[in-house]
Amino acid sequence: MTREETVRALYRRRPRSIFLRVSCAAVMVLVALSWGSGGFAADAFLSERRLRNLQRFLTELRPHPLQGREFDVAVAWQWTLDILADRGLAAAGATLAISMLAIVLAAAGAALLCLPAARNFAEPDAFSVSLRPPPPAKRALWKSLTIGSRSAFVFARAVPEYIWAFLLLILLGPSAWPAVLALAIHNGGILGKLASEVIEDLDRGPLAALHAAGASRSQIAVTAIFPLVFNRTLLFFFYRWETCVRDATVLGLLGIVSLGYWIQDARARNHYDEMFLLVLMGAALVIVADVVSAIARGSVRRSS
Amino acid sequence: MSATALEVRLPRPPWSVRGIVVLALLATAILSAAYLQLGTHSLVPSAPGLHAAQKFFVRALSPAVAHESDVPAGTPPLLVNALRATGMTVFIAVEAMSLAIVIGLLLAFAASSAWWMGDPSGAQSWWLRVVRRGIVPALYGTARIVIAVMRSTHELLWAVLFLAAFGLTQSSAVLAIAIPFGGTLAKVFSEILDEAPRDAATALRSAGASPVQVFFFGLLPRALPDMIAYAFYRFECALRASAVLGFFGFPTLGYFIAASFENLYYGEVWTYLYTLFVLVLVVEAWSGALRRRMAI
Repeated sequence: MTREETVRALYRRRPRSIFLRVSCAAVMVLVALSWGSGGFAADAFLSERRLRNLQRFLTELRPHPLQGREFDVAVAWQWTLDILADRGLAAAGATLAISMLAIVLAAAGAALLCLPAARNFAEPDAFSVSLRPPPPAKRALWKSLTIGSRSAFVFARAVPEYIWAFLLLILLGPSAWPAVLALAIHNGGILGKLASEVIEDLDRGPLAALHAAGASRSQIAVTAIFPLVFNRTLLFFFYRWETCVRDATVLGLLGIVSLGYWIQDARARNHYDEMFLLVLMGAALVIVADVVSAIARGSVRRSS
Repeated sequence: MSATALEVRLPRPPWSVRGIVVLALLATAILSAAYLQLGTHSLVPSAPGLHAAQKFFVRALSPAVAHESDVPAGTPPLLVNALRATGMTVFIAVEAMSLAIVIGLLLAFAASSAWWMGDPSGAQSWWLRVVRRGIVPALYGTARIVIAVMRSTHELLWAVLFLAAFGLTQSSAVLAIAIPFGGTLAKVFSEILDEAPRDAATALRSAGASPVQVFFFGLLPRALPDMIAYAFYRFECALRASAVLGFFGFPTLGYFIAASFENLYYGEVWTYLYTLFVLVLVVEAWSGALRRRMAI
């Protein structure tokens, strides 16, 4: 066979999937429809009125005491320090505290629910080698526990945290709890799903050995499953914490005292200079959290 | 034989790293709660809050199928309205994602070290050496910084900035999602590219291919399934983001959720919430099926 023939034969035998082709076509149709619907119009975006608006916005970004004056670093620095001391630092602290409390609550909830959600844990004769089929009633009970915890995860993460916070705010009134619980619920759903998948991927051998030595289900969970999944789930924990810091900032837009509250407040007063400073501060906070999380994940990875 | 007779005591340190990590995290949570002055008393719903919540959650079982109030003539029926809002949510998400993927691919190319680091062929001419030692690392560093800046601001904060700068246009919503998502895609794409199997790339390189050829024919095809799977996952996130942008006045699902909620039409809120739920589930099922097919 010549080289061309080999190539042609390989080409004919390439894997083909109708599903992938239909998906490809569907994506293209969606993209064409969205751009064709005309909502995103660059000319309207850059119309004269909008450009004037943009120009006004950009001039208003100049710190308030420097409006219409020559730029002076000392004055700008003093203005920055005043805002930070008055509310910026406290709000940044609150944002961090909300994110940390929320992610720990999320992890606690996920740790409880990920066991029944893992199919290898939630079956009548888990980890045993018995050939006798388990009684159907017992199997149905475990199956319903799995379905129940899995649908709880799906619902918890399908509703965006912003909408959870909006609903909880009505229920609980103004305190930091709506933000904390909204983040905890949404991230608990994500962490729970990920943790249950890690448990399902566990090697069956050590668990079956413990079972054969007479360990009960809860003993296996505490002494084998928990230590074995700890490092991998800790990676997810820190990765979601990064996201929590970002989201905790934004939940303030609803009126909870994190950075977002003061951003919204400055926006309502049309103090765009202050708004921009606080957005920058939120960005700095997120970058710091990213770096901390990267260091933490690196040390977890090295120790495993 | 009793169970205690079998007990074996193994020597172990008096503390475990896992125990310390868990205790430290719990301590952080308690300190955070103290800092926020959160007690359990503020967890108890107020009486009017509880009343509203009861009324709200009862309607979960009976979402509205028609408007709950008299609407001006010419208003589309509720279900048509929900479909339109869904369409708008999808359109904004798709537009934003297609922009974000272009941004993400360009930045990922610059921010991935796999295609230019450790090139054994060495620099033959002085200008190639300048490109490899000076321009490419500079491009790499700049791309990393640009990615960090794009990612560090949440899409809703970008929306707040664009609303102030441009006003309420669909373009503001699309850009607000496209910028942070483009940054995240670039970061993850570059990590996928750097971790992709290097077998084909090494073979191409030893056959004399240039770094750019190695990138497009050796690395990219190996990384593509993971990249497509991740892009689909981000599309789900973009749908949620696009729905939430409605709270700022864009005509997506969030706009109608907020409006109906504020008018106390709880049945309508549930109709829109269920629509969002179904939308997210459909896309999740689709991307899950796609991921399974491409893993082979």
